[in-house]
Amino acid sequence: MTTTNQLSTQGLDLRYGDRLVVGGLDLTLPGGAVTAIVGPNACGKSTLLRGLSRLLAPAAGTVTLDGADIHGMSARSLALRMGLLPQQPVTPEAITVEALVRLGRYPHQRLLSPWSAADQKAVDEALERTGTTGLRDQPVDQLSGGQRQRAWIALALAQDTELLLLDEPTTFLDLRHQLDVLDLVAALHAEAGRTVVMVLHDLGQAARYADHMVVLKDGRLAAAGPPAEVLDADLVRSVFDVDCRVIPDPETGTPLVVPKGSAARHTAAPATA
Amino acid sequence: MTLTYKAVAGRDTRRTTGRGSLLAYGTTGLLVLLGLLTVAVSTGEMGMPASVALRALAGFGDPGDVLVVQELRAPRAVAAIVAGAGLGAAGCVLQRLFRNPLASPDVMGVTGGASLGAVALLAAGASQLLIPIGALAGGLLSALLLGVFAWRSGLAVTRLVLTGLAVQAGLAAAVNLMIVRFPAELAGSALQWTTGSVYGRTWTEVWGGAAAVLLALAAALITNRRLAVLDLGDDSAGALGLNTSAARLQLLLIAVTLASLAAALAGPVTFVALAVPHIVRFLTGPPTAATLALAALTGAVLLLASDLVVQHLLPIEGLPVGAVTATLGAPWLLVLMFRQSTPVRGSGA
Repeated sequence: MTTTNQLSTQGLDLRYGDRLVVGGLDLTLPGGAVTAIVGPNACGKSTLLRGLSRLLAPAAGTVTLDGADIHGMSARSLALRMGLLPQQPVTPEAITVEALVRLGRYPHQRLLSPWSAADQKAVDEALERTGTTGLRDQPVDQLSGGQRQRAWIALALAQDTELLLLDEPTTFLDLRHQLDVLDLVAALHAEAGRTVVMVLHDLGQAARYADHMVVLKDGRLAAAGPPAEVLDADLVRSVFDVDCRVIPDPETGTPLVVPKGSAARHTAAPATA
Repeated sequence: MTLTYKAVAGRDTRRTTGRGSLLAYGTTGLLVLLGLLTVAVSTGEMGMPASVALRALAGFGDPGDVLVVQELRAPRAVAAIVAGAGLGAAGCVLQRLFRNPLASPDVMGVTGGASLGAVALLAAGASQLLIPIGALAGGLLSALLLGVFAWRSGLAVTRLVLTGLAVQAGLAAAVNLMIVRFPAELAGSALQWTTGSVYGRTWTEVWGGAAAVLLALAAALITNRRLAVLDLGDDSAGALGLNTSAARLQLLLIAVTLASLAAALAGPVTFVALAVPHIVRFLTGPPTAATLALAALTGAVLLLASDLVVQHLLPIEGLPVGAVTATLGAPWLLVLMFRQSTPVRGSGA
């Protein structure tokens, strides 16, 4: 069996109670690539991520990692291969950045094994990589949103997995910090060949930073493939119900979604609402 | 719930604690414990200098002194230390597990269950040696009841406390019923036991219970890391490879075992498990890897000190240590509930 870190789903149904959130999904997320999952609110993006990371058991179908059913693996062996940053992670009260990041080493530690030099090295590197070394003794709940997000990414990095799942890593961040996080993700992919799967809201950012794009609508697959092939005006209209033009991003040449202006918006005074 | 916890724990929680001060706290705690132990073995109806008492503890000196120290005072002190450590650790695990500053075996009914189990065995005329087993069975039974009644609400704060109080009241009634129907000679010792006392413990009773508590304590320390991972919430903990339901159940069982075995040693002592996590937190700040060990140490100091107060400082003869801790515990619980009710009302939790 090769380890290309390729996640795929076969006929995947995910439910919360009686509600079918994701239905009949056949999906392949290429290993060694950055995949962006996009779609309107409540289309099942986060649910899919929870299903891919084994936090939610499928109601039907399977999720496989390099061909092996992830529900046939031990929680620990999966945690050694796949890290996850939830959308709104729970920051334990008054925990310091370093203490938080150290928890990323949990799957690497045996029941009685002491903290090792390798553990410390992984933590130091994760702090360094995310630019949080100077914050290591600060309580996480006193950091700014951007710093806190970097601390959480550092935790996932300390876990040292080849596959990284990120649920809306840019939410609640200002533009500067959004770009910092996305650049960090791009660098992690470029340098270490990590496979990254992230849920994003901004289509332009998804097109810019992802090699592969998965578009969901109402829990079904609407489209999948390289952003340049997938993202067009028809797709945006049918999935998001927005009339737009898709033009090449002047900086990168990747698709850029520009909504068409409506008369109402133009005539409205700029500073109202 | 995090908000609630902060509000209750008070102002000092913002402070983070370095290794140095944790070490200082641990060292001070150990020295205080050794000091209290010395007082415990050297005072009593037959007072003796500390040096004589410590020599007698090691088996040297006057045979009378050796008998008094080794057979009367030492087992009582060890019972208090071990039970206190168990209670402190149990409270620490439960409060963190439920993210609830009111969680403790006495509030949740575990202590009541342990009493019922122990008294039921006493009533059946079983050997004192079997008390830990009865207490453990009773403690587990009450945890099961609590789970059935409070689990569906996601173990919400108020539900947990109310269910716990109801379970505790029901079990206490059952214990009283048993005592009333006991033969008179058993009723006295059972009544004594239900108020929480380490009086008259003998080595045969103490060593088995103590060994069991120490084993459970070791299990708690080994699984301590999981508490920190659980603090991250279920998704993050799951992604780190922790089976969260299994880990919760495991930690709950360890805490119930600790509290039940402590009750077997010292009777249903209240307050210690509730207060110790707050004391440790007040003195050392937010939880670290050392917190559980410090909680056990603090519990040991607290119960041994309370027992010494009962023996020597109070004018009433033969008062059980549980009476002192309960007297301190009731107002403490009220204060906690009062301080907690303020922020909870606003958030609708």
